[in-house]
Amino acid sequence: MTSKEELLEKLSNAVIEGDEDKCAELAESALEAGIDPYEAIMKGCNKGMEIVSHKYECKEMFVPEILLSADAMYAALDVLRPHLKVDEAGKKTGTVVIGVAEGDIHDIGKNLVLMMLDVAGYNIVDVGRDVSADTFVEKAAEVDADLVAMSALMTTSMVRMELVINGLKKRNLKAKVIVGGAPISQSYADKIGADGYGKDAVEAVRVANKLMEA
Amino acid sequence: MGRMTSAERMHAVMMGQKPDRVPVNPFAMGYCMQIVGLPLGDFYSDGKKSFYGQFMSMRLHGYDVSPMYGYASCGPWEMGGEIAFPYGPGHSAPSVTRHAVNTIEDAENLEVPEFRDGKLPGAYGIADDLFQMCAKYKMPVTFQSGSTFTASSVVADTTLFLKWVLKEPKTLHMLLDKVSDMYCNAIEYFADKYGPQAVMPFDGGPSEANTILSPKGFEEFAFPYMQKLHKKIADEGIGVVLMHPCADQNMNIPFYIKVREQMNWRGKYIWLFGPETPVQDQIDAFGAHDVICGNVDPPSFQTKPYEECVELCQKNIEEGKDSPSGFILAPGCEFPPGASPDKLMAMMDAAEQFGRYE
Repeated sequence: MTSKEELLEKLSNAVIEGDEDKCAELAESALEAGIDPYEAIMKGCNKGMEIVSHKYECKEMFVPEILLSADAMYAALDVLRPHLKVDEAGKKTGTVVIGVAEGDIHDIGKNLVLMMLDVAGYNIVDVGRDVSADTFVEKAAEVDADLVAMSALMTTSMVRMELVINGLKKRNLKAKVIVGGAPISQSYADKIGADGYGKDAVEAVRVANKLMEA
Repeated sequence: MGRMTSAERMHAVMMGQKPDRVPVNPFAMGYCMQIVGLPLGDFYSDGKKSFYGQFMSMRLHGYDVSPMYGYASCGPWEMGGEIAFPYGPGHSAPSVTRHAVNTIEDAENLEVPEFRDGKLPGAYGIADDLFQMCAKYKMPVTFQSGSTFTASSVVADTTLFLKWVLKEPKTLHMLLDKVSDMYCNAIEYFADKYGPQAVMPFDGGPSEANTILSPKGFEEFAFPYMQKLHKKIADEGIGVVLMHPCADQNMNIPFYIKVREQMNWRGKYIWLFGPETPVQDQIDAFGAHDVICGNVDPPSFQTKPYEECVELCQKNIEEGKDSPSGFILAPGCEFPPGASPDKLMAMMDAAEQFGRYE
């Protein structure tokens, strides 16, 4: 293993361990060693978060661990992102408007999806929580969104998602819609006309990527 | 066997006897307000209206449990934060608008509220208006007594709280201890006011679900405070506790089993798990001495037609009906406030058709 590969692996491991200081330090070391910052992000940070995602799916890691991994990843990204070449900084998988459905303030799940989409290379537009259908639609139009991602934890807020989908259709916007959250199921997503459903943050990214390829 | 009243039916189950049919607890809270034409927010902001809505819904549908008061974000208001009542579009329950704890210093300075006549903290004052009505009608006083972990996760900023699980365990324990002291005060106050045999503490919450917290995290941060509160419940002479381990708590079940074992408690738990926990697993873990509730997938009552809801209830009844210490048909969490009344009828019809014991 070359020193470059070793360094990227250390960065990946520091993300998994949720070690913020070590991540920032290793990101600095990567720049000093002349490693391309885009490669450091993809083969260090991104790889680390992929492993974290896998461990969450296997119930080997849980939300507290993921939150620390996210902090660690962002500590590295803060160092690396300013050094990206212009074309790489602008190289995005797609633009996602993400938020929690109206009436709902539960945003931990939304924030996990946001973080995983971010590291997967999406341009993120976070509209927050308790977001009205009009706000979702207006923002999607404003940023020419490729995707709108919505979450809901309550049976009362899940019904607000359909209003967003109808609003997007009415405006003829291109954005595809992905939904998730505890009361949501694939059948409910189909019923309200969503393009995709993610049962958790990991699957949400998978579904988003699939929708972008289509 | 003749037809029992709801009170007789529940009494039979609690005494370990066979009732005429499986009782129904629709866990209907906000839903009840549509029955009496009142806004959902009144359920939480006005104890008398809350009682009225639940009492009328209970009478209209003929289900077997009496009014109660509680919500997942109970704790923040009582500990010095602020909440908003659910009067807006999409709202379902009170939500936190200002957390009491946003720093370690806040946790250190947090004060445990006292429970005194005429001066109950936060929503407990509202709840007590409902409890007085319950007592008047000889119904159990069902008050919130946990979970400490879930309440603490909203007393503090939730993201910060979850990071403290790994980064600030000492601060987290200090916070959990103070919140559990608040619940101890509530248990003592209501047991004293209404009598230990007239109250039924309600303990549960979603923040310790295994989609969020590991079983190791549960053992370290949730279990000790559950033991503390349940010992307090036993010491007060309370005989029945309604438990709602919300969402997927399958990996926490061994700890729930230990709560009784370590106290050698002789009272009865009523277990209402989320739909993620198979009924048979609940029977295996608790069926020898406790009452098991059903756990029909709650959103189905909102999204599926009447016939499918009846089928889901039938399946649930068939899985649990012969649990050795009794079974109550229920959804796996609150009945959707926006579900139409025919869906609650589906529960009642299923209990009548498939839940009879004779």
